[in-house]
Amino acid sequence: MTPATKMTPNPKPQRVRDPLHNLIDFDAGQFEDVIWRVIQTPPFQRLRRIKQLGFSELVYPGATHTRFAHSIGVFHTARLLMRLIERHITAGGGRYRHHQAQVALAAALVHDVGHGMFSHAFEGIGKQLKLVMAKHEHVSDVLIRRSEISDVFREMGSGFANDVAAVIKNGRPGNLYDAVVSSQFDADRLDYMQRDRLMTGLQNGGIDFAWLMANLEIARIKTGVDEEAIGDVETFVLGPKAYYAAETYVLSLFQLYPTIYFHKATRAAEKLFSVLILRIISLAREGQLSKIGLTKSHPVIRFATEPESLDNVLALDDAVFWGALPMLVDSRDEQIRDCAKRLGERCLPKCIDVRHILVAEIGLGRATSPRQRSELKNRLERSIASIETKLSNWSKAHSTGVPRILTDRAVRDPYRRFEESKGPLNQIHIRMSGNEILDVASCSPVIAAIESFELFRAYTDDEEARSVVHRVVKAQLRGN
Amino acid sequence: MSGPKRGWEKAADIVAAAGGQIVGRTKLQKIAYLLELRGLGYGFEFEYRHYGPYSEDLSDAIKVAGAFGLVNEEERRATWGGMYSIYSSGQRDRGDGQRATFAGAAVDVGAIELELAATAAYLHVVERCTDPWGETKRRKPEKATDERLRAAKEAYARLAGLPAPRPLPRI
Repeated sequence: MTPATKMTPNPKPQRVRDPLHNLIDFDAGQFEDVIWRVIQTPPFQRLRRIKQLGFSELVYPGATHTRFAHSIGVFHTARLLMRLIERHITAGGGRYRHHQAQVALAAALVHDVGHGMFSHAFEGIGKQLKLVMAKHEHVSDVLIRRSEISDVFREMGSGFANDVAAVIKNGRPGNLYDAVVSSQFDADRLDYMQRDRLMTGLQNGGIDFAWLMANLEIARIKTGVDEEAIGDVETFVLGPKAYYAAETYVLSLFQLYPTIYFHKATRAAEKLFSVLILRIISLAREGQLSKIGLTKSHPVIRFATEPESLDNVLALDDAVFWGALPMLVDSRDEQIRDCAKRLGERCLPKCIDVRHILVAEIGLGRATSPRQRSELKNRLERSIASIETKLSNWSKAHSTGVPRILTDRAVRDPYRRFEESKGPLNQIHIRMSGNEILDVASCSPVIAAIESFELFRAYTDDEEARSVVHRVVKAQLRGN
Repeated sequence: MSGPKRGWEKAADIVAAAGGQIVGRTKLQKIAYLLELRGLGYGFEFEYRHYGPYSEDLSDAIKVAGAFGLVNEEERRATWGGMYSIYSSGQRDRGDGQRATFAGAAVDVGAIELELAATAAYLHVVERCTDPWGETKRRKPEKATDERLRAAKEAYARLAGLPAPRPLPRI
């Protein structure tokens, strides 16, 4: 038994000072003592070395906050939401289920414990190479069920850790308690939207957290699969006075995408990071370790050669990566050397916002009817698909070090009435003054009008590659 | 000159294989997943999400297929208040008899039953679950009523009996 897993003889209240929530208390009761001791375990402490926003600090110097701070903030927010659920249930004469509530709160705390170095950038690499240990959901599941974390959870009952893992892995849409972990108003989103804004120093993208919480209610809504109805489930809805706060909430998310999460410089750094790690893994698998510049026992090499090992993925974090850079800039491999130097010196490739160029040239903003707009959007989509293929082909044929053209394409929906992957509880429901419960997109013309946030960018460094990008774009515009 | 098919062409092919129309995103995803299991798919990667096996690449590809005019997506409001999509294609699969036979049979299965069947298969194949139907019921209690589970098992057995390069797992 590690020190963290030992039962505390005389538990005492604990507290953490948080930049977003101020004091976060942990009482001396059994459950919160267990939560406090989970925080002390090595897998959870590792989150101190994984920044919440990865490379965003290259754009926003203040954005050095970690998944550790975020996770504690999520627990705190989940506890606030759970108090709301408890009030609702007891006011209705129902029985508040402490076990289910504690499982959901514990899940809120440990939901991010499996994140790898640079989180989503690392996951993208894992997806390309089909590395299961690069998926944070999988690693979280393993850590919650079989690690120092589960050792501590066992004090809450033999099946507690598995219950926590199941909530994170599957979610149970009919279970109100789990809405604090997975819903449009889950504790994760309520924390990161505020924390990321605070730490970056962003002045737009704010939400009215206090007002949302004050007007959050619980009601039954109908659900279904495709056109088939299933029945009702209980979840969070907003009261009529939070109508505008709900609009702001969705709009804020829409603003956070371009300004923080998909900032062009952050994405450029992520691209370099991906090229670098993919190259290291490729060379390591070919047995060309001497070219890389890291010793055989370095965590990056250990992961590259044995990526299915949990220990190897846990040994990686942001600090390990930054610490490897001085060795990687001396690599005998040109691509590794280039990428490492550029990341270390923040010498990022320059962005050409191809989508912006296309939108302006195609005249999307000048469409005079919804039908014309739809046709122009289709043309835009076709153009992007074609340009992406051409640029990637050119880059492959003309690069030796860092790819001379890196493309970046992404789509995010700040709000959809229905999202197959997330289910109906991902919608925001408003109880209107007549007690009718509506999807916010049905009653707010502002939300109904929001389109997906989409980007298609090319990153280059040299004049020839830049001119190739512009030439391909022009040819595409002439051709369709 | 025709090169290897791109994602959006593959997504459009699935709609064509199902007879030219698929009602619902869930049904599209589950048909595509079961096609993969039977060796009749297009290489889309699936992971577990809210409605069972789900491919983000397929979700992206079907949107692009719309832009190329290969598939038409019409959004409608369901009686339960949510939105659902109808995908239609001017094409019907004439190239691969087994794929069309399988997709054509799967498209006739109810969306909920198809989701339950595909979920059970995924739990068996990917998560090595020894009781995939029981686990499906546990994860989806509001959907997996005894009646629906029975219908899902019957549909799965029917689909397993169709000719294909690979058998569906015995679950």
